[in-house]
Amino acid sequence: MRTAVQGSAVRGRKGFGRRHAATLTAAVLAASVLTACGSGGPGEEEAGGTLEVWVYQDASTKVQREAVERFNKTSDVKAKLVEVPGEGYQDKMRSAMGTPNAPDVFFNWGGGSISNFVEKDMLVDLTPEIQKDEKLKDAFLPSILNAGKVNDKIYGVPMRGMQPVVLFYNKDVFEKAGAQPPESWDDLLDLVDTFKKEGVTPFALAGTDAWTELMWVEYLLDRIGGAEVFQRIQDGDSSAWGDPAVLKTAETIRDLVDRGAFGKNYASVNYTADGASTLFAKGKAAMHLMGSWEYSNQQANQKEFAEKGLGWTTFPALPDGEGDPKNVVGNPTNFWSVSSKLKGAEREAALEFVKTAAEDWYAEALVDNGDVPTTSGSEDMLAGHPAPDYALFQYDLVRDAPNFTLSWDQALPAQQASPMLTNIQKLFNKQLSPEEFVDAMKALK
Amino acid sequence: MKTAVRPEHRPSPAAERAGEPQARNDRGLRGRLRRVRKWNIPAGVASVVWLVIVGLPLYVLVLTTLRDRDSYFDEGALSLPGDLTLDNYRTVLESDFLVYLLNTAIVTVATAAIVVVLSVCVGYTVVRTLSRTSQRIFQFFLLGLAIPAQAVIIPIYLLITQLNLYDSLLAIILPTAAFCLPVCVLILAGTMRDIEEEMYESMALEGASQTRVLLQLVVPLSRGGISTVGVYAALQAWNNFLFPLILTQSRESRVLTLGLYDYVGQFRVDIPALLAAVVLSIVPIFVVYLFARRQLINGLMGVGGR
Amino acid sequence: MKQAVPTASPRVGRPGIAWAVPGVLFFVLFAVGPMVLVGYLSFTSWDGLGDFPSVSGTGNWERLFEDPTMRQAIWLSVLLTGVSWLIQTPVALLLGVWSAGRQRNRAVLSAIFFLPLLASSVALALLWKSLLDPNFGLIAEIGPWLGIEDGNLLGTGDGAFAAVAFVAAWQFIPFHTLLYQGGARQIPKSFYEAASIDGASTVRQFFSITLPQLRNTIVTSSVLMVVGALTFFDTVLILTEGGPGTDTTIVPYLMYETGFQAYDMGYASAIATTLVIVATAISLLMVRATGFSKMRSTREGM
Repeated sequence: MRTAVQGSAVRGRKGFGRRHAATLTAAVLAASVLTACGSGGPGEEEAGGTLEVWVYQDASTKVQREAVERFNKTSDVKAKLVEVPGEGYQDKMRSAMGTPNAPDVFFNWGGGSISNFVEKDMLVDLTPEIQKDEKLKDAFLPSILNAGKVNDKIYGVPMRGMQPVVLFYNKDVFEKAGAQPPESWDDLLDLVDTFKKEGVTPFALAGTDAWTELMWVEYLLDRIGGAEVFQRIQDGDSSAWGDPAVLKTAETIRDLVDRGAFGKNYASVNYTADGASTLFAKGKAAMHLMGSWEYSNQQANQKEFAEKGLGWTTFPALPDGEGDPKNVVGNPTNFWSVSSKLKGAEREAALEFVKTAAEDWYAEALVDNGDVPTTSGSEDMLAGHPAPDYALFQYDLVRDAPNFTLSWDQALPAQQASPMLTNIQKLFNKQLSPEEFVDAMKALK
Repeated sequence: MKTAVRPEHRPSPAAERAGEPQARNDRGLRGRLRRVRKWNIPAGVASVVWLVIVGLPLYVLVLTTLRDRDSYFDEGALSLPGDLTLDNYRTVLESDFLVYLLNTAIVTVATAAIVVVLSVCVGYTVVRTLSRTSQRIFQFFLLGLAIPAQAVIIPIYLLITQLNLYDSLLAIILPTAAFCLPVCVLILAGTMRDIEEEMYESMALEGASQTRVLLQLVVPLSRGGISTVGVYAALQAWNNFLFPLILTQSRESRVLTLGLYDYVGQFRVDIPALLAAVVLSIVPIFVVYLFARRQLINGLMGVGGR
Repeated sequence: MKQAVPTASPRVGRPGIAWAVPGVLFFVLFAVGPMVLVGYLSFTSWDGLGDFPSVSGTGNWERLFEDPTMRQAIWLSVLLTGVSWLIQTPVALLLGVWSAGRQRNRAVLSAIFFLPLLASSVALALLWKSLLDPNFGLIAEIGPWLGIEDGNLLGTGDGAFAAVAFVAAWQFIPFHTLLYQGGARQIPKSFYEAASIDGASTVRQFFSITLPQLRNTIVTSSVLMVVGALTFFDTVLILTEGGPGTDTTIVPYLMYETGFQAYDMGYASAIATTLVIVATAISLLMVRATGFSKMRSTREGM
């Protein structure tokens, strides 16, 4: 330290002006650098007159693209579509919502996916808007509109097709094995053995994406214990995870895994990069439990298979199950929600924009794209669907379902959904026994 | 360390450079001596094994990018595809690749510039100011040496949001630069220490201001350290992933690493196109490597180049 | 403002502390500030939305000490650091010493060996993810030779962990090889010549000359490995997403998942604070062990 003391004495003699100059120079240097790169970054949102509309990017996005184009032709306030690549849409949307760059209008799944925003008063309550417009009120199937509600208020306008989870099968593989699609749980178990003998994986499963495994859990719990069990959980009663039906579900999953229903390497297969869908289309797997979007997905990537080889059926009932076998799980549809930070003309424009989803041309565009719209009168349009049989199958499935359970990862708030998915993955990977699974779920809060 | 007499050479890694001419002169004789020695067979075998471990994935990578999608799914990863195609590269270039590249370039250059300017100033103070405070400052920076920027992503998210910088390139640049400072100050302080006192004295005799001393003496004589620091910061910015992932959103401010990640969702089944994007992301650095190998390597070494 | 030319001790004008102010302010605002802030946030139950969060108690810390996932994550992080060191050090050391030789074949092979250095973690993780696809990737073809049936590597806990360690090694060995190459080239040739005259074998020379001479390089490289292991986040996110289950959920990934997927930012901040404390401790040890901070006073004494 001796030198340091000497040093400060030396410095003490130094002129004040010089030091001042040094500060100034350094500050100017730093400031010039900062400004230089500041101009490189994209500026703030253009002032006034633009709506930022966020949508999940996939094969169905083109309908929203068209909607934006049409809207911009007549509106003074222009909509700007931001297509967020599928991987992590929800995380990104959620991150952005906490910032000043939050979207003005955005795609979501209703329920738990927006409940946090509702709590913080960040969304426009659309209920009065829809109530006062008779045409709009009757435009959508009531069960669908209800599914988007939070605290009994409407925060979302349905803007995509219905997305029930469907059991798909590969017709060629079934033909080769001389098999029929399963009508009961025993059929399904028999098919597992049949296909194992054939050297084909019975069910394609994308084990790296836990939400695909969730679909099995959702259907099984619904068939075993009925839709009420999850309803209780969704309403905040985490002790409902202790319902015997949950344990039975977990045991059934374990049984399927042990039987080899999903093959051996499912835990490494992905869905987002189409691993499971490709296996299935290429005939390496016989069946695939997946959301109805699988059809458009196959059509985009394996056109020939989608048109000739793709079969579909409902999830079979379980012996002694209490649930109605007509129940459906999945995503009733997706919704547009409007940010409450919009004021005046922009808010008006945003409301106008989301209402376009109720128009006939929009439903027709969805049909052309292979989706099944959720508007009430769309049954007649379905003849124009690329696969009318498939469209009618879905439409009837949803219309006749006493209950349409929203995917759990969307129905529950993010704080619970994320660990839930991890637990489900562990159940499938035998890292949790059925009993441990139930305990882990009861601990979610 | 005799070579350190020439002040523009840092003791190391520049010592390597300084030592180079001698080594090269020696090589004639020594090389011949060595060649007489028998081949080192275990080392030869091991190096071939390692060549396979490194080379095979790279071979599959390049080969896959030249296949079409069906060939990827139907033939094995190792087989030679029937038709080679460059379509995958076109797909990538048509998917905003150049936008992402430009963004990354802006982030990289800006980060390097901020880091160089700030760490030169701090390094200069630390080396030349003989006060307790300047030593404290140095130790203060050193504490940050091992702290990964990732660990504080949550407060940075909050900070960037409060500063209204979310979804801008500045959101990436500012924290990335800040976290480069400890290593860079350390490197530059090391370099600047080797400038001889006599040099300052002769500048002082000319009556030079501190600014002139810095710009005409310290900066030119610290070139080696400054280029190391610049490259180090540039690489940090270039490879950064978590900051862009959390702090940016839109296409307009998407950088290359995040772009690659988003291609997974966008190309989905099209693995050959995804891998073509991976290859294209390596090309710019590869070009730099060809032309500025030494600076790049020194920059990579960062702390290690001490 | 002319500096009087000193007569006895030839000291010259020195810059004021002011020169360091911009750098310090910048560092404080974007690095130190967040480190303090993360500690604060660990006492809140912020969900990422709305206004600046206010303190809600020590719940997060109580939870942290009881959380089995956190315990597992710490164990996995330590294990990953250890395993990485054990894989990377010997390989990089041998390769570095080997490539320090100036034979042409070594130069050519070294150039290939250094290629992985040029890619970002993201690019490499994506490459390996596709190579490890159990049905269409490289592993589907060569897996059986390596004893990996059905190419199911990422789907098993140990396999996924091994994959992360391997990919990290594949990515970082070239870098450490470079360090050792530089180190080995600075060992005076005369040491080896003397040993050769004494008739010492190559292996003997390696252990009695090369290894002791590389002591400092080994320390530097090891420190960098430990620090680097704290940041394997990118690889984990892309390659395994912390799975299967939580078998590759290392601490930084757990922090990310808790913070940006479950939006439990208060708890995630508690995890992050732990990371910052550990990293600061490592920095301190590093400064002690390598004497970075001493350099100045020795020099100034001259």
